[in-house]
Amino acid sequence: MALLECRGLTRFFGGLKAVGNLTFEVAEGEILGLIGPNGAGKTTVFNLVTGFVRPSKGQVRLDGRSIVGLRPNAVARSGVARTFQIVKPFPGLSARENVTLAAFLRHRARSDAERAADEVLERLGLTHRATTLASQLTLMDQKRLEMAKALATAPRVLLLDEPMGGLNPSEVDVAAGIVESIRRSGVTVVLVEHVMKAIMRISDRVVVMHHGEKIAEGSPASVVQDPQVIAAYFGTRAA
Amino acid sequence: MGWVGGAVAVAVLPILVRNTFFLHVAILVFMWTVLGAAWNVLGGFAGQVSFGHAALFGIGAYTTIILFLKGGLAPWWGIPLGGLVAALASVPIGLICFRLRGPYFSLATLAVAELAKLAALNWEWVTNGPIGFLITTLPSLTVLGRRVDWEAKTPFYVIAALLMAFAILSTAWLRQSRLGAYLVAIREDEDAAEAIGIDTVRAKVVTLGLSAFLAGLGGGFYAFYFRYVDPDAVLNIGLSMEMVFIAMVGGLGTVVGPLIGAIFLTTVGEAVREHFQVGHLIFYGLFMMIVIRFLPEGIWGKVRSVLPGMRAVRHGAP
Repeated sequence: MALLECRGLTRFFGGLKAVGNLTFEVAEGEILGLIGPNGAGKTTVFNLVTGFVRPSKGQVRLDGRSIVGLRPNAVARSGVARTFQIVKPFPGLSARENVTLAAFLRHRARSDAERAADEVLERLGLTHRATTLASQLTLMDQKRLEMAKALATAPRVLLLDEPMGGLNPSEVDVAAGIVESIRRSGVTVVLVEHVMKAIMRISDRVVVMHHGEKIAEGSPASVVQDPQVIAAYFGTRAA
Repeated sequence: MGWVGGAVAVAVLPILVRNTFFLHVAILVFMWTVLGAAWNVLGGFAGQVSFGHAALFGIGAYTTIILFLKGGLAPWWGIPLGGLVAALASVPIGLICFRLRGPYFSLATLAVAELAKLAALNWEWVTNGPIGFLITTLPSLTVLGRRVDWEAKTPFYVIAALLMAFAILSTAWLRQSRLGAYLVAIREDEDAAEAIGIDTVRAKVVTLGLSAFLAGLGGGFYAFYFRYVDPDAVLNIGLSMEMVFIAMVGGLGTVVGPLIGAIFLTTVGEAVREHFQVGHLIFYGLFMMIVIRFLPEGIWGKVRSVLPGMRAVRHGAP
């Protein structure tokens, strides 16, 4: 059975259909890539799943249990964590304090939370930046911190919104490695990304969105051959 | 060490100083410290700027004086009950106002304060309307075999000092607690706080409750000390502003900031009032502008960043 399941997910903003009747499943242990041209509604899907925006219609289930209508903190508690495309660190706090705050979700005592935070920082290669203010980190490290915060909530599913956006090619490789290591640690990943090379390499399956709807789904190799996908990205003549 | 020294200084002051005006200023400083701390808990730690704390102050003041005049309950019991009633009243206020963020939240709290004032003016059978209440004689109280003289300043000084100690200790507790950490997260980025599983609404409502309790204590003490309560005296928008200023001048989100702010603003306020009678608020305003321009982190915030050895302290340190 699918770990995360969206059925008929729909969201209107006024008259604009940002996401329309979107259905997809994510199997446990999988990396699912969610791609599509700008404005396709990928980030809205994350907002709908994590409770930042309420769906107009549709279901979201985690392990068979509905999580639709929960506030974001309750979604995080249930085991779905997310990162933001435009990173949202707590700028005035150190990296370690940032991650400790997230670790409080599963550890009530400060010392336990700090220990958990240190482990996550270590895993993401941020230990040497632990005492640096989040606002002083490089973009790469801020992206790392964004993932570290999400991981510190001990999620079952991690939604990553463009973890590689704005990174240079060698940084992209590092970030892709991090995503793979997150999956190896037993966390299921949904990845929104524009960097095609990376998403094709690390995704098990890809869902392609266009104008809020799913236009293709399958292995990375099959999806890039799909005429509808090519049309969405390059126009109908290219297809 | 600083804490012990401060406590000793507060304790011996009324023994050394007999000047009633000086003691009166000290009492005001303590009361305003409680009120500044009340505002600071919500505005400084959680970054939720309220312009409506006069409502909570007024609820405390009215509760204390009504319980005494209509129910015969001595004010020293009425003061904590005033805090409690203010805390209870803050729950619906919070649930409504916290739906809004940033300046919209601030404006909503401003409206709450106006509503409270209108209610006090018109709900005459409870509040006595614009006439308000006056305490003519305080009940007698015997402590350690001696009858307390309510015409002297010392008893009020002691009670105000205890209230201040409570306010500072609760702020110190908050700073090191998990809730305190959550508040810092909310102040820094509310969405990010939700995303890592912090129930931001609950954290803010609980904090407003603590803030309201302190403001209600301050209001109760005001009624007890000045023995007079009417809508203009205890539900004035100026009170809300004063609480903001004290927390800001002292240092937002710090434990002793409200005390520093209260010392400066009360003495500056009393000094210019003495000299200029009319128009003294101009100088008060000027002082505010200077602080905001040159010390945006507040006096204590500045001292903390300049003093060697204090720089390494974590966020939200003393």
